[in-house]
Order: sequence, then C-alpha cells, then structure tokens
Amino acid sequence: MKFIAGISSATALFCLLAWTDPEAARAFVPSTTTKTSSSSSSVASSSSFGLARRRGHQRRSTSLDAEAIKITMPALSSTMKEGRVVTWLKSEGDAIEAGEAIMVVESDKADMDVEAFEDGYLAKILTREGETAEVGSVVALVAALEGDIASIAEGGGDDAAPPAAAIVAEAGPAAGVGAPDVEFSQLDMPALSSTMKEGKVVSWLKSEGDAVGAGEAIMVVESDKADMDVEAFEDGFIAAIITGEGEAAAVGSPVALIASNEADIPALKAYAATLAGGGGGGGGGAAPAPVSALASPVVAAKAPPKATAAPAASAGGRVVASPLAKTMAADMGIDISTVVGTGPDGRITAADVQNAALSPAAPAAAKKGAAAAPKVPSWTPAAGVIAATPTARALAKKAKLDLSTIVGTGEFGRVTADDVKMATGEIKPKKKSVALGAPAPVELPEGLVPFTGMQRAVSNNMEKTLDCPVFRASREIEMDAFNELYQQVKPKGVTVSALLAKAVAKALEKHPIVNSSYRKEGTFFNKDINIAMAVAIDGGLITPVLKNANERGVLDLGEDWKGLVDKAKAGTLKPDEYNSGTFTISNMGMFGISQFDAILPSGQGGILAVAGTQEYIVPCKQAVLGMKKISKMTVTLTCDHRQIYGADAALFLKTFSEIMMSPKSLV
Amino acid sequence: MRFFLASLALVASSSSPSATAFVVPSSSSSSSIAAAAKIATTSLDASKCGNYDYDVIIIGCGVGGHGAALHSRSQELSTAIFSGNDVGGTCVNRGCVPSKALLAASGRVREMRATEHLGEFGIKVEGEVTYDREGVARHAKQLANRVKGNLEGSLVALGVDIIEGRGILVGGGAGAGEVHEVKDATSGKVYTAKDIILAPGSIPFVPPGVTVDEKTVYTSDGALELQSVPQWVAIIGSGYIGLEFSDVYTALGSEVTFIEALPNIMPTFDREIAKQAERLLIRDRPIDYRTGVFASEVTPGIPGVKPVTIKMIDAKTKEHVETLEVDAAMVATGRVPNTANMGLESAGIETSRGFVAVDPQMRVMTKHGDEGVVIPNLYCIGDANGKMMLAHAASAQGISAIENICGRSHTVNHDAIPAACFTHPEIAMVGPTEEQAIERAAKEGWTLGKSQGSFRANSKALAELEGNGMAKVLYNKESGKVVAVHIIGIHAADLIQECANAVAAGTTVQELSMMVHTHPTLCEVLDEAFKGAVGMSAH
Repeated sequence: MKFIAGISSATALFCLLAWTDPEAARAFVPSTTTKTSSSSSSVASSSSFGLARRRGHQRRSTSLDAEAIKITMPALSSTMKEGRVVTWLKSEGDAIEAGEAIMVVESDKADMDVEAFEDGYLAKILTREGETAEVGSVVALVAALEGDIASIAEGGGDDAAPPAAAIVAEAGPAAGVGAPDVEFSQLDMPALSSTMKEGKVVSWLKSEGDAVGAGEAIMVVESDKADMDVEAFEDGFIAAIITGEGEAAAVGSPVALIASNEADIPALKAYAATLAGGGGGGGGGAAPAPVSALASPVVAAKAPPKATAAPAASAGGRVVASPLAKTMAADMGIDISTVVGTGPDGRITAADVQNAALSPAAPAAAKKGAAAAPKVPSWTPAAGVIAATPTARALAKKAKLDLSTIVGTGEFGRVTADDVKMATGEIKPKKKSVALGAPAPVELPEGLVPFTGMQRAVSNNMEKTLDCPVFRASREIEMDAFNELYQQVKPKGVTVSALLAKAVAKALEKHPIVNSSYRKEGTFFNKDINIAMAVAIDGGLITPVLKNANERGVLDLGEDWKGLVDKAKAGTLKPDEYNSGTFTISNMGMFGISQFDAILPSGQGGILAVAGTQEYIVPCKQAVLGMKKISKMTVTLTCDHRQIYGADAALFLKTFSEIMMSPKSLV
Repeated sequence: MRFFLASLALVASSSSPSATAFVVPSSSSSSSIAAAAKIATTSLDASKCGNYDYDVIIIGCGVGGHGAALHSRSQELSTAIFSGNDVGGTCVNRGCVPSKALLAASGRVREMRATEHLGEFGIKVEGEVTYDREGVARHAKQLANRVKGNLEGSLVALGVDIIEGRGILVGGGAGAGEVHEVKDATSGKVYTAKDIILAPGSIPFVPPGVTVDEKTVYTSDGALELQSVPQWVAIIGSGYIGLEFSDVYTALGSEVTFIEALPNIMPTFDREIAKQAERLLIRDRPIDYRTGVFASEVTPGIPGVKPVTIKMIDAKTKEHVETLEVDAAMVATGRVPNTANMGLESAGIETSRGFVAVDPQMRVMTKHGDEGVVIPNLYCIGDANGKMMLAHAASAQGISAIENICGRSHTVNHDAIPAACFTHPEIAMVGPTEEQAIERAAKEGWTLGKSQGSFRANSKALAELEGNGMAKVLYNKESGKVVAVHIIGIHAADLIQECANAVAAGTTVQELSMMVHTHPTLCEVLDEAFKGAVGMSAH
C-alpha cells in the first residue's frame, strides 16, 4: 500500500497530504485542517481537503519566503490521529521525484510508504525517525529549487512561527469574494488512492439542508480503486452542494459546504455559487450577502411528530365483545378495542369484526351493508404510519415532496416509487402494473379523446340514419368468371373497385328504384348514377363518389378512383366529391369478411356490403370426381323500405349477380 | 472396534439393567467401572457391539448428524441415527440449500433486469424479464428434496440405521453419569448405544410480541416457500438470513425495510465489511432500515385486506418510535436450539436458553460454567451447543466427536471455520472480525497486521464488470500467521477456502505471498493482499 504525500507549494498556502485508505474502503475524510484558534497558523481556503473548518473572518494568509513545499503527516487510516515516522527514505538535500517513496510511516494499522507528489529537494526534516507527529502537521519541507534548500531549511525550522513575509493573494476561488462571516466547514474531494487525481461524486447521501453527524456517510465517491463512502467529520448542515452527482472534482477542490448553524445555509449557498464557478469564474458575480452573526438560528419548527400508537384505544372502557368476535379479531390480528360495536349495549359482534377487517377506517360506516361491502376495500393507514415504500420515501425526500400530497397506487394505497416519480414528472402516468412477474400489461388507451371534425360528421350522419326503416337482402355470387376477367384486365390497370362500381352502376340502370331517394312526397329518382364507395382513412371514414359510373369505362373509373382516394387521404376532397352519391358500396372483401351489412346513408336508397370471396366445393356432374371448386362472394343490400321493397332488392341483386357472372360487358 | 469393546469396561455405564424403566443410581459417578450387565432391549443384533445395540446413536439427522454418521461408519462403528422425520434437517430442508436455489433464480432475474450493466457488456434484453413465482419456489423445493434424497441414500448405503422418530434420552438423572438409552418418540421403542451424539439443531427464534402466521408474518421456514413476492416486506434482523432474503426479494421486485435491534445494521459482520455491504447490498437497492429499534408488536395481515402492522419501540427507552404497515414481515432474529422435550432435564443436563454446554471435545457438560461436569459418553454438536451455528461447523463437530469417541482426542478450531453470506455480491469470512482481532491481539500481546486486496484492480472481476469489493487479511505480525480474512465481492464464498485452509494450517503471509495464484482469477485479489502484507506488490 502506498500513499502519496500531498505536497503543495507555499503559494497554495497550506500543504496537505493526499490521503488514502485503501484498506479501509470507508474513506474517512481526515481532518487535515489547521487550528483556527492558533494565530500563527496559516489557513488555506482552497487547497485543503477534508473538512477544513474555518472562520471566515479569521482567515489569514502567510507564507514562506522561498518556494517551500510542506509535507504533512498523512492520515493512513480512519482511526489514525498521529503517525510515527519509521524511516526517512531520503535525507536532507536529496532530490525527490513525484511518486517516489520518501518515508515510511507507521499508523495504527500498518506501516506504509508515503510518496511525494511533486519534484523537489528535501530541505528540512522536522519530524525525525522514531518521532511522531499529528496527522496534518508538517513533517518536512521541500524546496522546489536546489538553491533554496538552505533558506528554506533555516526559515522553516520553526513551523509554529513561519516567517510571515509575502502575503500571497487570496488563494480562495473567485478572488475578492470572501467567505461569509459564519462558521462553516468545507468538504473537499478526498484523495482516495495514490493515483487519484479527481473523483466523481457517484451520489450524495444527503441533500442540501440535511443535518449531518460526524461519522455519517454523506457522499459516495468513485475512485479508480473502488467506490467509497465519504463521511462527515463534524456535525452540521449541508449548506450547499458544489459538485453534483455524476460530476467530477479535482482532488482537494471543494465539493460542498457544511454549515454549523442551519440559519447560515442561505449565506453559504450564495458563497458556494462563487466557488462552483471555480477557475472558470463564469457568473459567480453575486457577492454573498454578509450574514449577520446575530441571525437567530431557525429553530426547527417542525419537531418530528411523535407518532402515537396507531388506533386510539377506547378510553378506559372495558371492551365488550362476543367470544366469537374476540376469537375472530385475534385470528385476524385486529385490535378489538378499535372495533365499533353494534350489538346490544354496543357489544362488538363477529360481524363488527369482519367489517373492521374490511374497512378498518370506517367500521361504523361499514356496519350497515356488510354484504355490499366492496371486495377490495381501500385501506386507511393507522395514525402515524407513513404509507410509502422505502424507495418512495427516499425519492420524496430527495425531491422535497410531501408524501401526504401524493396519491398512492401501491398495496393498501401506499405511495410507491413510481407515484413519486409521477409527482415529479419524471415518468408519465401509466396503468398500475399487475402482479409482479406477470407479463407487461398492454398499454390500453384510456379516457375521452374528442372527435375530429370528420369523426363528428360521421357520428352525426349515423345518428340521422336511425329514422330510416331499412331491410337487408343477401345473395351469394359466383366469382370465378369475374376473377378470370380481373386477371386478364389487371395488367391494363383495371382495379376491383372500378369493376365493382361499374357492375353496380350497370345493375342500377336496370333497377332505378334502388338508385332513388325517399322524399316525404314520394320517390325521387336520381338522374345520375353516382357510386359512392366507403374508404377508411386515418381518423375517419369518407365516401368519395364516382359520378355517372354507369356511363364511364372501367379504366377511367379506376383512374378517377385513385385520384379520389389520394384526395381523401390528403383531406382535399371537395364536398361534391363525397356527398353526391346516389348509391354506396362498402367493400370489406380484402379483410376476409365473409358477410356483413352496412348502414344506409341518409338520402340514399341503397348500400351494398361486399364481403370477401371464399372457395367452396360443389357437386358437378361434369367433373371427374363429381364435384368442382367455385369461388363465391356474399353481398348484402340494405335499402330504405319506405320506397324500395324486397322484390326490388331481389331483382337488383339478381341482375348484379348476372353481371358479375358474365362480366365481359364491364370492359 | 476391538479397542472399543475393550475399553468399554473402563467407561461403561453404571446404568441399571432394567429393560423398561431405566433408573440410574444417583450415587454412581461417571468414572465408575462397575459395568452392569446390560441386556439388549431390542431385537437388533446386540452382539456386534457388546451390550449395546449400537456403538453410536446420533439424535438428529441434519448436516451435523449426517457428518457424524458418515465418519462413524468410516471408523466401523455401528451407527443409528434418529431423524425425527426430518432427514437433512434445517440446512437441507429449510435453510442453506433451498435459499441457494432462490438466490440463484432471483440473482438471474436481477442480472437480466440490470439493463445498464448488461449494456456495458454489449448485451440487450428486449422486453421485460419476468419470472414465475411458483416456478422459482418449485426449484427450491425440488433442490431440497434432491439433496435430502442424496443424504438419506448415503446413510443407507453406508449401513447407518435410520430411526424415523425423534430421539429422547432416557435415564441419567441428577448427578448421574453416562446415558446410554434413546427412546423413539414415535414408536416408544428404546435403543441403546455406547456413545450418544446429540445433534437436534435449532429452530427460528421468534421474539415476544411477534405473531407468526407463516403467510404474511413468517420465519425463514415460511419465506423459503416463497408464497408471495410482497410489494414491501419488512425483515426483522439484519444477519445472514435477513440479508440473503433481502437479496432475493429486491431481485424479484420487492422493497425491503430492515429492522435491527442493535445500533448498527449487519451487527455480526466485520464493521468495515458491513459498511461496504451497506453500500453494495442496501443503499443501491430499494431497501431502507431502522436500527436500535425492536419490533415490539407484529400483527399478521390479510393479503389485499389488511397490511401487516409492525410497531417499533426504541431499543433503549422502549418508547414507541414508528409503526409500519407492510405487506409481509420476515422474522430473521436468529435461531434457538431445538433441545426441548428430548430428555435433557431428566438426564441431569441444564441448558442455557436451550443451549447445551459442551467441553472442547464436544462432550456434554451437565451445566454451563465451572460447575458443569462432563458426561463422558454424551456429545452435543451443531446449533444445539451454540458454538458456531453453521451446517459445516456442525459436521466438523460431528467428525470431531467421533474422533473423540475413537479415543483420539480432537478439538475443532472454530477460528478456521469459514462462513459465507450468499448475497450478490457474496460476503465470506474466516476468523474473528477486525474489532475482535484487535482485542485479541491486545489481550494476547501480539501485533495485528492488516493487508487488503481490491476487486477493482482484478482483471477477472473487471471482465465480469463486478469490480466492487475487497478482501482484507488480518495476520499476526510476529508469527506471520493468518488470523482472519474477510471478503466482500463476487464469488467471495468460493474465495474464502484458501484462507480457511491457511488459518487451519497456520500458514504465514510470507508463505502465502510466495504461493502462485492462477491468472487471471479472482484469487489474485487474495494474492494482492498476501503480498501486500509482506511489502510486495501484486499485478
């Protein structure tokens, strides 16, 4: 195990030893500070690590004339108070290199090599072999230049009174911004291993404003060797966190300020802002408001509520309960004194106990309709119980949320980690997950989604159709001939939709009644055969119209149809292009639907629901096996029965069937 | 065998020859050589071991009794074992073995759900990792049954007679000497043996005020059945058992609150290790804890209807401090000897909190303290003597007892018995804690040395992306002998054996530092520590 003696130049005022305790992974931050009461000691503001307790107004800077580097006694273990120099591996005058072992120190746990941090020359040994020195006290002086050895050796002879010559500019960060005049200490990034240059704060175990006790772990720092807990050295309050979680700080630079008094936190926060700027100096302009020493400490107004035993025991009175109630209460683990009795003279009955078990919060309310009691009653925690899981509590504390303001979705209504995260907005609300270990539930949409304009129009139109008396007629149509034709004309660009529209239009020519509209006064025959076809588009349903479908060729219709569908999808159909239909086709054949019927759009006389084509085996005398395979499709016509009758529909379907079975006429 | 028959006369019991009511003359001393002619009381072949049915009868068929039985047979002693209908005992049926199954299954769930960690390997798990609680529980049950079967098979194969009932000592009495008779509590039949080993084991301790229903409030017995995976479970006690179950529960998705009566969490562990464990096994997990409090009143709940209520009082002031309402509570507050109703009192043996006093040779003493008198042919091993409540310690003690029965004086070095806690990562140790070692060194006048190896500097650990942990070696600076080793880190339980062997053999750190460790293995963590102790550097 090797340790580096931290050596800093005199300009850094106070030199401290990088300390590490790899054996003790608990990384106890040693007190490496000066005694503020001692007027002669120099107190650093920036280079100290550990909790450098300082009084701002007592800060004073002194230094040595020459570029002297001090070597101090390192804390080699958490319990080490002083160390004995076993051996000096270097003599006065020797050159030393960074990383070179210069002495062996015996701690309470083991002997360890102490290495130098910087190059230089060993000028003066203050603590000789066999002597002991307090942790943090100077054991040797190192000259940066060989020529300075003599002067440093002379001057540094008495560390207790170092020559107070050159007053060095405040080494504190953001020169000019002094620390507030309050009692506080600074927590610096400790050196957790000999090779550690900077450390990453993995997590803060305390938040700003939290009280910390000496020896309590306050943060976890990641070094190259291990993650280590850093403990507080003194009692106090975390005033400001300078290095946030996940951020790194150079060894020795401040990561947090710890106030002795809670009231000083705001002042230190402001001061911390100047430190946080660090060398960058960005921002940090705001001078910290000097804090009056008289500022009365805020007395914790919120004394922790002494949770009294949960259910208020019935005052003094003897519990009168039936034996069964008592046994049942004992079995259920219910304190019978909390149960409200409804029996004679308020005696507790078995039913009361059952009710209490079901809804302990309101046993009186539950007594009436025991049978109607909800199966999974809501649970009201007993007084003083914090109904939150450990993680929820920790998260709420961190987010400074009051748990009582969060609605719990966990067992017995307790607040879970997710509930807190939802309250902080970290996660979006989602459905409570089912039993642990069960497959993830499907995220189903929930709640009201307002209609779009199109959806509103569709629903209005559908409601209007309720006034119309309709009937339906279905017919199976052999499709082999049609399919054969379709395969022939498909290469030319003819579509099924166009063929269907054309076939329907041709049939309507022969049965104009089916193309008619109902009027109060009588049947209104439409001059044109305009075939509307339903198209499902994103967010609704629309019926583009192929006008005069009976008179146009299928290629023309197909092209027209393509354009209409594109327009429908783009939402650019003109009203005339979707509300001028005289007859509608709804085709769901492509979805494999075997049969369905459609709702008749108001204003039209009929709508044809076209289902999918299916194959059947039918008897056939000509066939070798006495049977053959045919394709059939079922169409269902819905008609307004006010002017169109069943026979009309039947005849129309017969014609339509004939056209479909000899479709040559379509092309 | 012959030796024993010959020596029988010297240590033979002063038992009366009554076949049914075995009355022992109170005047007789344990050194009596008045060998009463004893008539065989059973149909078993008495001739093969003189006047007794068996050379050795073992009461209790856990790992301790099993270890004793195996060694007894290897010494060609005729042997019977009372199983009390519990072949395998706690370890196999309700302890170490099934808990390892739960830890193995839950550990995989934890690993596969650690997407960030897997990502560092370049592994991605698509979709949610799920488990079937019943399947996990079944794995534990099947493992226990299998191990139990193996254990029983080995006894039968070696010619050990298994008597199914619970064994009860018969005879003895105030100030009496030897005890030779054991009654089968089930059949009432009495068997005799020259030497008797008590290995009744232990049962979970349930503190006063705690009502156990084994459904919502349960001991390890109930927990191992994994009847539910509660959203929030309180574990009372933060020892090995509690810690292992917190590992299982959090891996399966529960949150855990530890309730510890002592001022520190994990009080039985080395402090330094406990602090690391707190960071690795508690703080980064959905676990919190209360220390210095008793769970003074624990009331079972009804799932979905009523939570488990736990009232906590300050351990010192006894004032109520907090009430928790949780889904389940596990009581892991230690174990107490299973020594009631086995005839100890009538045999003149006083127990202390159920523990049977034994001398270093595992011979039963009539009472704890200086006034206790050794009963020369009666031994007690395992949890019942409280020396070290571990399965393998019991087995070692059983073997030791047989050695002593064979006339080769033997004592178990408990300092060399390793122990492990099978959390992820594991904790393992041999020898005293550092705190105890410091005290011991001061008392015995030697200097304690300490050296450490870290997992983060270990290639294999880094390859596994499991760099957390440490191994510390405590040794006697003067002699160089290893005093204790404490490890927390991946596979710590497998690493400790080398150290246990070193402690047992008195190997020095100087010797260990020159022994070659395989590269790249986790053993190099120890290599680093051994070398560090003598001022050498490891890779």
